[in-house]
Amino acid sequence: MNRVKLLFFATLRDRAGTKSMELDIPADLTVQGLKDKISDEYPNLKDSMSSVIITIDREYASDEAVIPPNAELALFPPVSGG
Amino acid sequence: MRLSFRRTRSWRCSRLCREDDVGATLVVAQGRDEPSPCIKCMEFPTVFSITEDEIDLNDLLAKITSTSTGAAAIFTGMVRGTTSRGAAHETEYLEYEAYVPMAEEKMKQVAQEIRARWPTVEGIAIVQRIGKLFPKTPTVLIACTAAHRDTGVFEAARYGIDRLKEIVPIWKKEVSPGGEFWVEGEYFPKPGE
Repeated sequence: MNRVKLLFFATLRDRAGTKSMELDIPADLTVQGLKDKISDEYPNLKDSMSSVIITIDREYASDEAVIPPNAELALFPPVSGG
Repeated sequence: MRLSFRRTRSWRCSRLCREDDVGATLVVAQGRDEPSPCIKCMEFPTVFSITEDEIDLNDLLAKITSTSTGAAAIFTGMVRGTTSRGAAHETEYLEYEAYVPMAEEKMKQVAQEIRARWPTVEGIAIVQRIGKLFPKTPTVLIACTAAHRDTGVFEAARYGIDRLKEIVPIWKKEVSPGGEFWVEGEYFPKPGE
């Protein structure tokens, strides 16, 4: 298992009820796998997983990307700065 | 004793633009061959920040003005209290938040993209204010300078704000008399974008 850090922003933070948390994930878990895991284990976040943006170490990641150990993952909706 | 000499050859700028073989003359210390910034990146400043402080236009403009600068295109956005386009509504205030380290990296990327598209651009400033901001308050500023106004500075500044709204991780919550909601964009960045 790998330990990773999850950061939540905007709607995702409100639904998660926290700004960040640590999570143990299987070593070969992909971004899509993480979405599935969160859908299963965190009912409040299930509906958000179809349109969430996920970054790995501050870069936009594909669903197929494998999450490296100690990664900093961020989950958020499409951005709305300006 | 000569401490430096000028030469031109194929090389890559070690700083912001990362351009290959930018065609400028590189000044290197004699006998050394270290990564060097191109003339453009040495001379022309790029300023980017996420701040809770008031945006100081004069200060930013001074920072991106060089002796060769003759034009600046500035875009600034502010909190709109009354919206009539689309779903008409009143806004009490907007509350901004950012994923600060990534937002700063992506602002730097936007500046790189501007320089790649408009090589005539001299200075670039990209600033986003965050926190609780009330109507009429400036929230964002993108400014590009160049030697002349007909060199693409207007388009460069426009590109900057459009790109910020696509890839820089910042969000705003709209608070109205009737309730509050997170504003969400529409753009899904591609991997590595």
